[in-house]
Amino acid sequence: MSKRRPYVRSMEGWWKKNPYFVEYMIHESTALFVAGYAFVLLVGLIRLGQGEAAWNGWLEAMQSPLSLIFHLVFLVAIAYHTYTWFKIMPITMPPIIVGGKRVGPGVITGSGLLAAVGVSLVMLVLVFWFGG
Amino acid sequence: MTENLKIIEIEVLRYNPESDQEPHLEVYSVPFSDDMSVLQGVQYIKDNFDGSLTFRWSCRMAICGSCGMMINGIPKLSCETFLRDYYPDRIRVEAMAHFPIEKDLVVDLSGFIEKLESIQPYIIPKEPRSLDQGEYIQSPKQFNDYIQFTSCINCTLCYAACPQFGLNPDFIGPGAIALLHRYNMDSRDGAAAERMELVASEEGVFNCSAVGYCSEVCPKHVDPANAVNINKTNAAKDYFLRFLSPKGGAK
Amino acid sequence: MEIIKTDVAIIGAGGAGLRAAIAVAESDPGLKVALISKVYPMRSHTVAAEGGAAGVKKPTDSLEYHFHDTVGGGDWLCEQDVVEYFVSQAPVELTQLEHWGCPWSRTEDGHVNVRAFGGMKIERTWFAADKSGFHILHTLFQTSIKYPSIRRFDEHFCVDLVEEDGRCLGVVVIETSTGEFSLIEAKSVIIATGGAGRVFRESTLGGIVTGDGMALAYRHGVALRDMEFVQYHPTCMPVTGLLFTEACRGEGGYLVNKDGYRYLQDYGLGPLQEKPKNKYMELGPRDRLSQAFFFEKQQGRTIEHPTLGSVVHLDLRHLGEAYLHERLPLIYEMAETFMGIDPAKQPIPVRPGVHYTMGGIKVDGRCATSLQGLYAIGECASVGLHGANRLGSNSLTELLVFGKVAGVEAAGNAKSSAPGNSSNLLEQAKAVEQRATELKTKTDGTEKIAVIRKEMAQTMEEGCGIYRVEKTMQATCDKLAELRERFKRINIDDKSSVFNTEWLTAIELDNQLDVALSMAHSAINRKESRGAHQRLDGYEKRDDVNFLKHSEAYYVAGGVPRIALGDVKITKSQPAERVYGAAGEKADQERKESHD
Repeated sequence: MSKRRPYVRSMEGWWKKNPYFVEYMIHESTALFVAGYAFVLLVGLIRLGQGEAAWNGWLEAMQSPLSLIFHLVFLVAIAYHTYTWFKIMPITMPPIIVGGKRVGPGVITGSGLLAAVGVSLVMLVLVFWFGG
Repeated sequence: MTENLKIIEIEVLRYNPESDQEPHLEVYSVPFSDDMSVLQGVQYIKDNFDGSLTFRWSCRMAICGSCGMMINGIPKLSCETFLRDYYPDRIRVEAMAHFPIEKDLVVDLSGFIEKLESIQPYIIPKEPRSLDQGEYIQSPKQFNDYIQFTSCINCTLCYAACPQFGLNPDFIGPGAIALLHRYNMDSRDGAAAERMELVASEEGVFNCSAVGYCSEVCPKHVDPANAVNINKTNAAKDYFLRFLSPKGGAK
Repeated sequence: MEIIKTDVAIIGAGGAGLRAAIAVAESDPGLKVALISKVYPMRSHTVAAEGGAAGVKKPTDSLEYHFHDTVGGGDWLCEQDVVEYFVSQAPVELTQLEHWGCPWSRTEDGHVNVRAFGGMKIERTWFAADKSGFHILHTLFQTSIKYPSIRRFDEHFCVDLVEEDGRCLGVVVIETSTGEFSLIEAKSVIIATGGAGRVFRESTLGGIVTGDGMALAYRHGVALRDMEFVQYHPTCMPVTGLLFTEACRGEGGYLVNKDGYRYLQDYGLGPLQEKPKNKYMELGPRDRLSQAFFFEKQQGRTIEHPTLGSVVHLDLRHLGEAYLHERLPLIYEMAETFMGIDPAKQPIPVRPGVHYTMGGIKVDGRCATSLQGLYAIGECASVGLHGANRLGSNSLTELLVFGKVAGVEAAGNAKSSAPGNSSNLLEQAKAVEQRATELKTKTDGTEKIAVIRKEMAQTMEEGCGIYRVEKTMQATCDKLAELRERFKRINIDDKSSVFNTEWLTAIELDNQLDVALSMAHSAINRKESRGAHQRLDGYEKRDDVNFLKHSEAYYVAGGVPRIALGDVKITKSQPAERVYGAAGEKADQERKESHD
């Protein structure tokens, strides 16, 4: 009779055991903020469909002090999500070959972040241009 | 090298299935010199304090893949991790995470071996070639497409780094999928379609949530996370293409 | 005890064992193969081979050249018919490996590339960066998975052979994870367990290289041949012994002493060459290079490192970082990780370390031993390829060429023989079990495994080093006899069944002691200098009159080995002076003219 008795360790609280996993969990949970804000915008769209009064009410609600704090929190969370999203981007895509050499992970992450910052700036400019 | 030896405390997770209900830590004071690896540290314990301390090792040069351990919670090859980098703190050595512990620092690898065998890790020729025809010709580009994924030494550190494998031991896992990808990407091989069923299966790539730690700990820079994620795309493409094909989506 | 019936049992799943298993499976898929290894196949020490595998490739090369390089390199102690077969099959087998997926490094036009290696006249070493053994092993292991007739017994330790009426009919194994014994009955048994270099102190070898298969065959009456020839690799990491491949020199690395002087030009390997030139300077054979280190040290021209001891420098700086990363990535990584040295900026301190056992289980050209049904291949065997000194990159090819031969032969034998008497074999297996278990369960022992192992390695280094004299060789023989006695009183702390590595280490040590004894006694008996066996006590010259002979060590239970001399097969290369550098080129020229 075999005396083997392999011991299986519990996975409970696994994500607290390694800083890398903690970062991963924060990254994953900040995705909720992305989804959450998409929901906010969706509500805005619905209000727009319900006529001018409803739309203006929604706009007003967006400008309340509570909403501003709420936006600030969302900004931080979504910025973090963006940063970590591009950080893992190199491992999620097929190799890009430029001039016979493989593009390094730093370049991919860097260009991704640069693009995100760029698009955000363009949005800001557009908002000021047409919104102001 | 024996003069001026410093003493480091090594805390080892011990488990003897024949006498212990569960693993426990034991601490040993080990004299060491700056060139000593963690492997040499545990060898010192076995040779001088307790012959029953159990671990795998062989080549001492990070190529045989035997000596993976959790060192202060991080999966590493103990032969290329040095005691000097932890001194004067105590260092903790445990069996690789996510695997069942067989005894002390030895884990049960049978599951990994079964997965490795399941992926058809051999060339299934696209165009058969006889020996008199000589070697297949591979351009530098064709060679570069797969060479990185040949470097896996089967040390399974990536499994010890993969929480999804810990949560679902049936997941084929990073190392075996990287090897599968290696054969798919080889211009001599023509069996990517045959391997797709496994890639897209319940045990396949969609268990991966892109934690990415597997690639971080890989001692040979294989980047298994990359292999897994490329195959997510491939599996998705395959699914939709099949859906669009005249015969429909049914397999 | 569980009984498993198979057709061919293979002990060892490194390059040779895997190649043999595939050969059996391909020659007859109906034959059952039991592939037994004390580790998972990919841990086998083939994995650590770096430089490459030799086989004629270039149009300017010829089988004839490869033959002469090998025979001359072996100081004419090779079986020449075996060498002839080997060189003819080498390119075929290396191509076969390419078809199985081995990622050989390639030229720009997509063909397999070859590099220069020590003692080889033309570049003919096929390589996969500097991880050739790793890629060969993994390719073979992964390919073997394709064949359903191969049943693997991973992490099973083979403790003995069983035989009947002069036929080998199976093996007794311990399953490491349970500690339980099984009898594997087989009609053919192939030993492919690798070398025995761990009987020495500073070696390039993994902990598993303990000569187990040699000891098994030896105790069953098969001779261990040419065991005195132990190869010192000239460029190893001090203290750990880890290997810096010969390819470092093949790619153009220099060896320099404390004055920055390329000292090999003083040892019959000159004149000085800027670029690597085959069979000159750093591309001389390993025995000569290791011997040159010994003399440099004697003359006080080595570098005395405060912690590493006496070293010379392996200088790769002029090759440039990019080239080193492409051709020698593992070497780069090892220098950085283990020594904190950037080889593109600093020279690497090195000295010779034990690397390879040229000798082994005596087999004929078809890998058969004197015990019917028992075959041996690879480093554990002496098929007669390497003679008194192996040329780098011949041994990886040997695994393939003779792995296949043994597989085919063992398959043929299995098909034409009847199985043995099972109850008789089981009786033997039970006796083996009892003996091996007693080693663990006895409680009166006082000797520590680690201490005996250390003393063995120390005395082997002293008596059987690069240069040898009668007095220290005798001291080594005596010391080994003492250790053999003390081994009877060892103590094993671990009495458990599951994964008892201490117990298995003790069995390995038992094997090592027998193999060490055969080496030391073969060495003291060879009163000449040839290849890797060099003496400084009045036998400094090669003596073809008395010693153009193989040494054959026979096991004597409880006593010292009996050493006999066996004939060497000479076909077309008559022994000549073994010369390299300019003198070698001249000799080559003369040989060619005399043939024309």
